This record gives sequence, C-alpha cells and structure tokens, in this order.
Amino acid sequence: MKTMNNLTRVLTTLRHQEPDMVPTFENQIDSQVRDKIKPGLSHADFIEYMDLDAITHHELEADTAVVIDESKGLVRDKWGALRRYIPASETVSMTVEAPVKSEKDLKKYVPPDPDVSGVYRNLEQSVKRFKGKRAVIAVVMNPGNAVKNYMLGQVEYFKAIKTDPDLVHQLTEIARDYYLRFVKNCIDVGVDIVWIGGDIAMSTGPFLSPADTETFIMSSERGIVQYTKGRGVPCLRHTDGNIWQIFDMLVDAGYDAIHPIDPVAGMDLGEAKTRYGDKICLMGNVDCAHLLTWGNPDEVRRAVKKCIQDAGKGGGYICTTSNTVHVAVKPENYVAMVEAIREYGKYPL
Amino acid sequence: MAELLVSIAQGVEKGDDKQVVELVAKALESGTPALDILEKGMVPGIQALGKCFKEGTVYLPEVLIACRAMNRGVELLKPHLEGVEVSSKGTVIVGTVEGDMHDIGKNLVKLMLESNGFKVEDLGSDVVPGIFVDAVRDTKADIVAMSALLTMTMVEMPNVIDALKEAGLRDKVKIMIGGAPITREFADEIGSEGFAEDCASAVDEAVRLMNL
Repeated sequence: MKTMNNLTRVLTTLRHQEPDMVPTFENQIDSQVRDKIKPGLSHADFIEYMDLDAITHHELEADTAVVIDESKGLVRDKWGALRRYIPASETVSMTVEAPVKSEKDLKKYVPPDPDVSGVYRNLEQSVKRFKGKRAVIAVVMNPGNAVKNYMLGQVEYFKAIKTDPDLVHQLTEIARDYYLRFVKNCIDVGVDIVWIGGDIAMSTGPFLSPADTETFIMSSERGIVQYTKGRGVPCLRHTDGNIWQIFDMLVDAGYDAIHPIDPVAGMDLGEAKTRYGDKICLMGNVDCAHLLTWGNPDEVRRAVKKCIQDAGKGGGYICTTSNTVHVAVKPENYVAMVEAIREYGKYPL
Repeated sequence: MAELLVSIAQGVEKGDDKQVVELVAKALESGTPALDILEKGMVPGIQALGKCFKEGTVYLPEVLIACRAMNRGVELLKPHLEGVEVSSKGTVIVGTVEGDMHDIGKNLVKLMLESNGFKVEDLGSDVVPGIFVDAVRDTKADIVAMSALLTMTMVEMPNVIDALKEAGLRDKVKIMIGGAPITREFADEIGSEGFAEDCASAVDEAVRLMNL
C-alpha cells in the first residue's frame, strides 16, 4: 500500500478505512520520559523525532492558572479551584478547594473566559508547523467533569447529583457554554481533531448510573460533539474505567473514536472490536499501569502485536497506551511500543 | 418496633437522611434501645447498599448519600450510646500513599468501614511511610488500608510495608490495598494480605482480615 502522511493515516482510520499502517499517538507524554529517549527536544520536536501521527495540546497547557505556592505545587486554576500538582508529575493534579459550595457561591461565580489571549498559542504553533502533515489535536474536558473536578469537587459533586441536582445542572450549563466556545476557538485556529476527556467510570463500572450518566454527563457533551462534527472535525473521547454499561451511550453521542478501552478495568479490546468495531474506532490499549512500567521491551512488543491482531483488521484502530506515557513508563518500553506498531501494523494485516 | 427498624434500614439504603433522622428519633422516643436501632436498623441498611454497589446496581452518589444518612442517624444515637458497649469490628488506618492526592476512593472506604462498625483513623492523602508507622504505633490499629490511583504512586506501597518492618510493627498489623491500578497479584507481590477493588469489597476484606 502507498505510504500515507501522518494526518491522512489518522483521518483514513477514523473513516473506518484501512490506512497504510496502524496510527499511533498519545494523549500525553511526560517530558521526563521524552528527555530520556532524546534529551533536549521540545514536545513538537519529539513528535517529529518519533514520527507520531498526531500532536496533542491540552487545554490547561497554556492556561491562566496563578501559582499560589510553587514549593507545594499549588495553583489557582481558571475555574477558581485551588489545585495541587503531585511532585512526581507535571500533569496530574487534584482540586484541594473548589470554588462553589452552594447556590450562594453560584450567584457570584465568574466562569473563565475562553477568549482570553494566549490560551491557544501552542495550538497555533502546532497548526503552523504541522498543518496538512500531522494531526493537530485539542484535548478538552467534558462539561460534567469540569463541574466535578474544578467547580464543586468530587465528593460534593456526587452528593449534589442526588441532593441538589439543580445546582449541578446550572454549573454544567456554565461549563458547556465555556467548552462550546473553547472548541469553536480551537477549530477556528485550525485543529484537525477535538479530543474530549474526563473519566466517567472506575475499575468496576461507571461513576453514575446509566440514567444519571445521560442526565448529568452526556446531555451536555453531546452538543459539543455535534458542533465539532458539524464543523467537519472528528471528535474522540477518553475515559478510564469499565465502560461496558455506557458504551452504547458513547457510540450514540456520535464520537468517532473511544480511548483507551482500559485493560486494568477489565475492558477487552477484541471484545470491543467485535461488539462496536463497525460503529466507532477504538484506541488503546497497551497497558501503561503495569506492562510499560515494569515489563520489558519483548513483552511490550508481544502486547502490541496482540492489540493489532485484536483490533486492527479493516482499519478503525489507533494503537496507544492505556492512558498516557506517564512519568513511570520505562523509556525503552515506549520506544519498543512505537517500533512494534510500525513493524506489525502495516496494512494489509 | 421491627417495622420501624426495617424502615430505618430502608432510609439508610436509599440515602434519605431526613427519613432516617425522623425515624431514629421516633424509635428512641418509643424506648427502642439505641444499640438495637444501630445494629438492627442502620447497619443492615448500609450493608444492603454495599451489596447493591458490589453488584453494580447502585453507584457513587447513592453510596455517598447513604453514608451521609447513616452518619446523621449515628449522631442522633451517640448521646444514647454513652456507657453502652458498642462492639467495634476493629481499627483501620486509612490513607493515600505519598505523592497521591486522589482521595475519593479512600474517603468512600472510610465511610463504608465506619458505617459497618469499624473505627477508622484517617491519615488523609499524600501520606509518607513514617506517618503510617506512627499511626500504627499510636492507635494499635488492626489494619492499615492504603490507596493509590496512579501507577507512579503505587510503588510507595511496599515502602510503607518496609517502614513497618523496620519499626518492628509489621506482624502487629494486617495490610490491605486498593486503587485503580492495584490488583490482587500486586498485593501478593508486595506482601499485602488484603486487596479490595471497591469500597464495599473493602468492608468484606477488612472483615476477612479480622477473622470476623
């Protein structure tokens, strides 16, 4: 098969057609791992060095967060939440103090401004550098998770679903409006793909009942998916956890692909391909919790081969880790993973 | 009286704190012993909820409001339980390991353990090994329950076990672990006696470790 460029490879896959080879890119790659593989490269340089098919930019990358205490990793984010980054990681943080505790706080709550200058600068640079060659992806949160993670805090969010659903709905509406405008701006900048994140499941199943998942999560993000696709831009979805109970809902929302078919939560890539492979593209699921962290390159190569065997047939499959290339991933294992994808992923399989 | 206790159990199970408070007050007024209200009304309610959670028929919001209803009822009972021998199933130290601030799982485990008759010492999140050691020494706990959501922080779990060994406390306490990347195999590998994949299973596992 004629060799495609990286962007065409990804877009062909998302159209459920066979590209020249299985594409690969990551939601996030920790800079410490990146530096161990090839020191001194920027994020974009590394994407080019590894010949990954897409570059991702997270909404918080160029955020307007204010550093509160650098030694403690504390920042005040754009939603007004006090967040703490964990010492070992540049990307993982938790809300320490949420800005909204009641209807009273809601009245005086000032949401972030998606039109603030500078927020899209990384995307603009990548579009300038990679447009037409590699997929440029904007990674954003889903509105429901913005309420849970940034506006109310997790425990209060889950309680409020039952005790104060109006408050949750009002906050979700604010978050939905923000993300609609944010996504519009990303598409105006020229991104090729929008990737919506925010976990809605844990290892044993969804956080919320399927009915509540529809009411509090999907109903708000469906409009963003529709808007994105209406602009001719594919839309991906990430969520950790066991999603069998809500898989249909994600398919029906119109997503082009679902990531990462979490193996630690008992999700099976082959089964997902059999049940949903004709309806939605699959992304995943080389285990980054155990295999890429503690395994060796030979084991990684075997896992990649199996993933491609399970999900690659007929296209519609992007080989990725089961979450991110986080700081504990062995650099040699990630390199082996990418090499194995290029070796075993050539179509026809 | 039996009907009232059944209604209290149902109130806890469906997380209706107003119903629980109202019915507990009514039961106390009618002379029902506080211990009976707790053990024959509220505890069966939270246990039924835990079973449903394990079976996947209720979800996180339902668990949180059930625990809230349970706590409200217990607050009402407390003055009436003074001097009454309330049997504790054991003391459990809970904490999220160093470097990890994800604490919703740990908080749920705490709520479910307390609701099921365990005394819980909550060390919070991002807990260094020395704090676990001090807490075991100070509280004479039966179980240390550690959680980690991240692969990069689960490696701290064996460090806590090593610290307990160094302090000569390892054989005084049982260990149980949980969190998204944690498996039974990992628990076996690091020498943790217990493993739980969710907050309801954590109660069962704690009961098993206590040989109750």
